Amino acid sequence: MPGAVSSGILPSVFPVPFSRLSESSMATRDIVLDHVSIRFGAYTAVDNAHLVIKGGEFFSFLGPSGCGKTTLLRCISGFSEPTEGRVLIGGQDMKGIGPNKRPTALIFQNLALFPLMSVADNIAFPLEVRGIGRKERRKRAEELLEMIALPGVGDKKVHELSGGQRQRVAIARALAVEPDILLLDEPLSALDLKLRHHMRTELRTIQQQVGLTFIYITHDQGEALTMSDRVAVMNAGVIEQVDPPETIYNRPKTSFVASFVGQSNAIEGKVASQSETLVSVETPLGRLQGRAAGGRQYKTGEDCILFIRPEQLSLGDGLPNAIEAKWVKEEFEGNARQMFLEANGVPLRLSRVNLGGTADTLSGAAMPVGFEPDQAIVLPHGVLAGA
Amino acid sequence: MNRGTGGGGVAAGFSLLFFSFLFGPLIIMVITAFNSSSFPRITPWECFTTEWFGVLFANDRLMSGLLNSLVIAVSVVAIAVPIGLAGALALSELSSRLRAVLYTVLITPILIPGVVLGISTIVFWGALGRSVGAEYGSFFFDGMFLTLAGQVTFISAYAMLVFLARLQRFDPILTEAALDLGATPGQAFRKILLPFLGPAIGSAAFLTFLASFENYNTTVFTILSGNTFTTALASKVRHGTDPSLSALAVIIIGITLIGAIVHEAHTRRKEVLRTGIATRSRIYGNPVLKTLVHPLTVFLILAGIAGLAAWQGTRHDASVCKQQILDDKRARQHELLEEQRRKMQEQQKTTAPVTSPADAAGKANPSPFGGAFSPNGLAPGQEEPAPAAAPTDAPATANPSPFGGAFTPNGLKPSQ
Amino acid sequence: MQALRTALKEIAGKHGLGAAAFVGIAVLIWVIFLIALPQIAMLDYSFRFNLPASDVGGPQDVYTLENYAYFFQGNDGTVNTLDIGILVRTLVAAVFVTCIDIMLCYPIAFILAHSATGVAARMMVIGLIVPFWVNEILRAFAFRVLFGATGLINGVGMSMGLWDQPVDFIRADVALYSGLTYAYILLMVFPIFNAVEALDRNQIEAARDMGASWWRVHWRVVLPVAKPGIASGATMVFMLTAGALAAPQILGGPSSLWFTQLIYQWFNESANWQRGSAYAVILLIVCISFVMMLMRVFKVSIGEIGR
Repeated sequence: MPGAVSSGILPSVFPVPFSRLSESSMATRDIVLDHVSIRFGAYTAVDNAHLVIKGGEFFSFLGPSGCGKTTLLRCISGFSEPTEGRVLIGGQDMKGIGPNKRPTALIFQNLALFPLMSVADNIAFPLEVRGIGRKERRKRAEELLEMIALPGVGDKKVHELSGGQRQRVAIARALAVEPDILLLDEPLSALDLKLRHHMRTELRTIQQQVGLTFIYITHDQGEALTMSDRVAVMNAGVIEQVDPPETIYNRPKTSFVASFVGQSNAIEGKVASQSETLVSVETPLGRLQGRAAGGRQYKTGEDCILFIRPEQLSLGDGLPNAIEAKWVKEEFEGNARQMFLEANGVPLRLSRVNLGGTADTLSGAAMPVGFEPDQAIVLPHGVLAGA
Repeated sequence: MNRGTGGGGVAAGFSLLFFSFLFGPLIIMVITAFNSSSFPRITPWECFTTEWFGVLFANDRLMSGLLNSLVIAVSVVAIAVPIGLAGALALSELSSRLRAVLYTVLITPILIPGVVLGISTIVFWGALGRSVGAEYGSFFFDGMFLTLAGQVTFISAYAMLVFLARLQRFDPILTEAALDLGATPGQAFRKILLPFLGPAIGSAAFLTFLASFENYNTTVFTILSGNTFTTALASKVRHGTDPSLSALAVIIIGITLIGAIVHEAHTRRKEVLRTGIATRSRIYGNPVLKTLVHPLTVFLILAGIAGLAAWQGTRHDASVCKQQILDDKRARQHELLEEQRRKMQEQQKTTAPVTSPADAAGKANPSPFGGAFSPNGLAPGQEEPAPAAAPTDAPATANPSPFGGAFTPNGLKPSQ
Repeated sequence: MQALRTALKEIAGKHGLGAAAFVGIAVLIWVIFLIALPQIAMLDYSFRFNLPASDVGGPQDVYTLENYAYFFQGNDGTVNTLDIGILVRTLVAAVFVTCIDIMLCYPIAFILAHSATGVAARMMVIGLIVPFWVNEILRAFAFRVLFGATGLINGVGMSMGLWDQPVDFIRADVALYSGLTYAYILLMVFPIFNAVEALDRNQIEAARDMGASWWRVHWRVVLPVAKPGIASGATMVFMLTAGALAAPQILGGPSSLWFTQLIYQWFNESANWQRGSAYAVILLIVCISFVMMLMRVFKVSIGEIGR
């Protein structure tokens, strides 16, 4: 994939195509979570997870910390067994099969590189424990190092590498197992911002190059949305929605997803009427119209929340869904300006692309805003993220 | 010293006093090894001599004890280190309540007085031996075996503490990573955990060796009629001293210092290499200096110096000086006796004493040091004649001090 | 038992069957054959008569309290003031030595942890450890050289005219207490050091900044943090001092015995192992109860020993 990444600070691409020793395991295998629940005593960490991850997919679990995503990952990799339900990989029940016997490789949050071994020994470790000879191991390690664009660092110690280099070594080590599935547990969280953005692209590139299934755990929605084919949003042990990133962002199915993924103004109210997919909601800000999520039919008077993204709110008079808001404060973010407004006790947020100029609005100044009904989404009342 | 937290001068002064307390006695002992006086002392200085080293090596009991000690120490290392490792591993896996119980059980051998450990060991194995009808020649009654058992009991706990400290810094994720990469639990243990514990195994081995080699309280019971280096040393110290013990101290302190310096060179080198400032450092950047501060070079240089000193020492002959001192002593002794006689004659003029003071003192103390040094009732028999104290600093007047023996004529004969 | 099995299973799952078997067997041997059974055997032995070998296991070989009775009453039924006195003296002396060690080691541990830096700190650590690589007997011997009647102190003192007859430091037990204080310094410094090192230097500086005197900073800020370390060090120093044998044998005055020397005599001179065992049991129980009592007073747990 030459030229896939344009970053000045790092060698960006993996120049050598990934090759496997054995072609037989190349067959992509689906992972089935069959009504998986994991409990610790009275506490339910994962509640009835039921989904299929297709072979070759880049699949992310996204959720706040403590939502059960790491527990689920450890269950797939074999460090724990489900309390109920089954984990199937390629149609085979994984019950009783230890982590060292599963076709999975896990990249740990802190990478878990072996500090006492050289880089090459780290990468060759999976081969060493499989009884492959020293020469063959070394050759394979060199190949993998070349693949991750770090040729010649094999004899260095792990602590001599930079954060991004370690990241790649961890990936190379996991790939040396020749797994069908690579599990990644927030592997970018220790990196600085710039490197994190760079590694996102790089991970996606590797995944497409090697054609493995990647299961990625993160609380960072930016990572999940940029890299994944599909994202599962989790909260409190429950998988709330499984969809491609765009669907997750544009058509959230629950109030949690709507509020957790991206910024959103949540306006609580009661359904007044519904025609086709258009719902009228009685709110403290007056009667507002939005799209019914998933074509749902609401009863009149049902509690609901209308979500509208800050970038979908526009300033000006005569707009549909007009709201009389007051200016509170403004935050400058470089490429955008966040405007904090307030209308009848409901805080609103509006973001505009920064086109230069400065903010000179006075506190309490009237700010008429509005939005297209099609941009807003109406969801049944439920849990909000961070609430 | 940091003025912000330490009260500067006071801290430095206290440290100085503290370390002179630590090193003072050792330094004085080292100096006495080179004084020809037959009692280890600095004042009065007689002659510089190296003959005490010869006396030391000629002591068969000490030398055979040394062999026993080495055999025992090596065996203790071989047994106590694995047991300590097992204890530490067990503690790291137990639930917290059981962990506290096991920790208490395993740590008690350190707290139990060594004397008690020694006694319980010989009593237990003796009873076990009798109950299985073993003969007195069997290992149940063998001093070496019993010493091994007694020492392993508490030295394992030392090793365990070393391993526990190291295990606390182990990231269990590494084991999980190894398992995930296809290693069996056994492979993960051998290839990840054991290498991580490597340095701890080294220090545990060192610590257990030293603890075994030095141990007295337990060993003095368990060795039965035999001897280790330390027990032989102790009985020698208890039954009369001569500077050959100081000579031994010189050797041990010499080895210790060389070890400490080489170890320091090693740590520094490792640190410099680790932090990667080697290329920038003035010393490590220079190839000649770099070789010079390599631990091996340091060791060779120090060992060379020590060897040279020893070789020089064997050539040193203090006999002329000693003869002169002896002559001086005889003359002084003669003088003293004369004075004594004169005084007695004066006394006899006034009173009618029955015995001479010198005889009285001699009867009270059959050995010149018996009264002062052998603890009450503890095996008063002496294996070798204690060297006499020279009378030079003893007061001329007769007194019933433990040094009264010095006034008896045979106390003046040079020992050896 | 259940918990033990779970732990072994855990080890087997994590480190393999071989490792689990090794851990299980080694710990069992250690606990049963080296720690528990010998102590039980000694306890059993202390309740028996000192019989000739031929009578052991015979009809006369029954349990008795005679060995303990002797400690309290001697042979004639009166209070055995001699032996009880020796035990009390040993304990008092051990407490004294422990206190001296605390006073010596607390400042050094603090200086080492918070004032000394870089090379100075490293040299201090080496300086602390090196003397303890030298054999315990030789260290005691060094004190005899120092304090003997013809030793350095007497030599210097007399030549300077401070006193004109050799002072018998040995009989006065000065040599013994110095030697014992010296012997276990290391075991006091490092626990206190470990505890004090954890203290954030900013806390000291903050207290100073708020105008606290040095005395108050130590009393209110440092000492509470150092307490577990002091307790741990004091426990070890006390137990080792009370159980010391070499130093009292070498440095002890002729009129004062250490309790361990009494035990030694029963074994090696009177060949009465049963009574020796009883005395060992007494020493063990008295020492452990004493330490437990102190730990309760100072609210420290045994789990903190050896840290």
